[in-house]
Amino acid sequence: MVVSAPLWSVLVVPAVLLVFTLAAVTGDALLAARTAGRPVAAAGAAGPLVEATRLLVGQRRTTLAPDALLWRLGLLTVSVAGVLAAVVIPFGGMTASRMSVGVVWFNAMEVLTWAGLWMAGWGANSVLSMVGGYRFVAQGLAYELPLMFALITAATGAQSLNVADIVGAQRNLWFVVWMPVAFVVYLAGVYAFSFLGPFAYPAGTDLAGGVLAELSGVDRLMVEAGRWLLLTAGAGMAVPLFLGGGDGPLLPEWVWSTLKTLAVLAVLVWVRRRLPTLRADRYLELAWVVLIPLTILQALAAALVVLTLGGAP
Amino acid sequence: MDLTGVLLRVGAARPHVLTVTTPGGTAVRLAAEEELRRRGWPAALTPADTDVLLVAGTGTDVLAEVLDEVWRAMPAPRVRGHATHPGDVAAVLDAARSALADGIGQRALAAAARPSAPARPDQGGHAGGESGGDEDHGMSGPEMPAGLPTAERGEDRDGLKLDQLHVFLGPVLPNWPAGLVLRLTVQGDVVQQAAVDAPGPGGETGSFWTDPWCRAAAGEPVSVGEAALRRVAAHLDSLGRLLAVAGWDDAAVAARRLRDETLSGGRSAAPRPAVERFSRRVARSRLLAWSTRGLGVLSPDDAVAAAVRGPALRAGGDVTARYRRWCSELAAAAAALDDDAPLDPAALEPPRGRLGSPGAPAAELLAVLPGLLEGAELAAVRLIVASLDPDLDELPARVEVSHGG
Repeated sequence: MVVSAPLWSVLVVPAVLLVFTLAAVTGDALLAARTAGRPVAAAGAAGPLVEATRLLVGQRRTTLAPDALLWRLGLLTVSVAGVLAAVVIPFGGMTASRMSVGVVWFNAMEVLTWAGLWMAGWGANSVLSMVGGYRFVAQGLAYELPLMFALITAATGAQSLNVADIVGAQRNLWFVVWMPVAFVVYLAGVYAFSFLGPFAYPAGTDLAGGVLAELSGVDRLMVEAGRWLLLTAGAGMAVPLFLGGGDGPLLPEWVWSTLKTLAVLAVLVWVRRRLPTLRADRYLELAWVVLIPLTILQALAAALVVLTLGGAP
Repeated sequence: MDLTGVLLRVGAARPHVLTVTTPGGTAVRLAAEEELRRRGWPAALTPADTDVLLVAGTGTDVLAEVLDEVWRAMPAPRVRGHATHPGDVAAVLDAARSALADGIGQRALAAAARPSAPARPDQGGHAGGESGGDEDHGMSGPEMPAGLPTAERGEDRDGLKLDQLHVFLGPVLPNWPAGLVLRLTVQGDVVQQAAVDAPGPGGETGSFWTDPWCRAAAGEPVSVGEAALRRVAAHLDSLGRLLAVAGWDDAAVAARRLRDETLSGGRSAAPRPAVERFSRRVARSRLLAWSTRGLGVLSPDDAVAAAVRGPALRAGGDVTARYRRWCSELAAAAAALDDDAPLDPAALEPPRGRLGSPGAPAAELLAVLPGLLEGAELAAVRLIVASLDPDLDELPARVEVSHGG
């Protein structure tokens, strides 16, 4: 049973999210060191912190005739969306916000990055940056509908948009067992809205960094941190949606939540290094021809199960 | 307490480096890439992300203007370094790190100028993949922000009148053939026109990659194994670029690590099984093949007609076919490392095809490039260039190839 935490817990959410995010980027730095043939050691693990320091002290720059308001607002949006999305994620037996439409809130915050990245790309008044921003919109057209159907499948299983109710409906059987397609599509969606791994197309190396091309200093830090915050929030949300939340034997609920979130993060960080970047036009084809029908069938199957049994199994 | 000074010292532990290779500077670039990988210093993709501007090789005259432009676009803290010899790289990087951590010096630099894109986008814009702007038309029209001219318009591929934009790619662009400059006219991100502008080699040494063949032609004793070693490293270098452009950083790093270990290990200690495993892994990746399929198709007939030689001719197909060809020829060359027989250029070609009679492989690759690029999207442009990976150091003189109207 997930209960509401006191109001001040909203302030704890960013801190917890930051700790998990730090774990993810540290793991990523260690994997990078292994591939490059460097010793996997403390020096490598400190890389992300050194990088953050470097960006904090770095000079901000401007371009010729930028749309400064759109640009800075867009840059800010990515991190803000990541933090706000995490507000509805239950952790152990507690949740900062037990809102009745938690799933919709999460989805809406993730969609904020559409506007944010497009504004960040457009505002810099630079070709590479703008193409990067538009790439995210194109990518959004591909990933968003399958992701929404995956979210709806979990909500259908629990007959509620409240994330706490979704956790409650998994007491007997985790949703991942009878909604495997929705789970996999959801994880692909997490890469997509954090534009990392196979979905790093908007910030692609072929565009010399795309939306990141003109950014330095704290501007760059906000976007780089934002995408990892979004990835972490996505991994955290997978736990209540598909993996039974804090459910588990012997250990306290918050320990199970921690372990499951770290496990999902580890999978996301490891798999991301094994795959090349997908071009949005190619993925669009797959998304609309294969993934949308598949996720609709998955949602239909979940609805039939709930109708037949009168609730989640 | 000087907090900024402390933060500068911490941040200087892992600076981002933009390496600019001069004509003939390949050996220095390889040394720099190995040293950066060993230190864990990331490669910067644009001036905006650059702390250290590292010039690799001699003869920087042709690049002087572009380098100044990149330097102006870099945010503080920033440092310039120049390594003219592979042995200098470590010392140059050490000096750069000390300069980055120097709070007083960096504050003076930061106060002197605020970094920004070039003042007039149509004058330059070669820097780090930054865009050029619209051409100098329409100045008498309505006043635009910052005095920018309005865009010209032209027919697009569907017969619509759309804005055109002139974009330079190179010469300062990571994962890009040294010295290559592409002038593109784009509408949206579709290339309408492409032209190649390649400066001639400034280095006295010729191409690093064809060196064993040149020495054999000059009468020096060169064994098959020695040439095969260079060939393996060359294909790994090309694959590293292609994989980086395709957004598969992990595989790109692996390719460069194997390249460095091959060159430094020599014929006896080259990591042969790892090279074979790697080439199989890349050739078999379905996702990579799916992303690159149908791009930049150079049919066998067209390739023969354009006198293209080497792996690009033998692949006879799209980007996917070309990188798979590298993978298979890489494995074949690795098998010849033990061969002590004298080199016969007909049996074992240089990495990009036989030299001379007439021209060089790079000349033909540059000649077919504009035709392959027109109608492609910006994303495809980088992949197509990386899949041909012309080595401009092979060229005897400056060439100017233009295509399309």
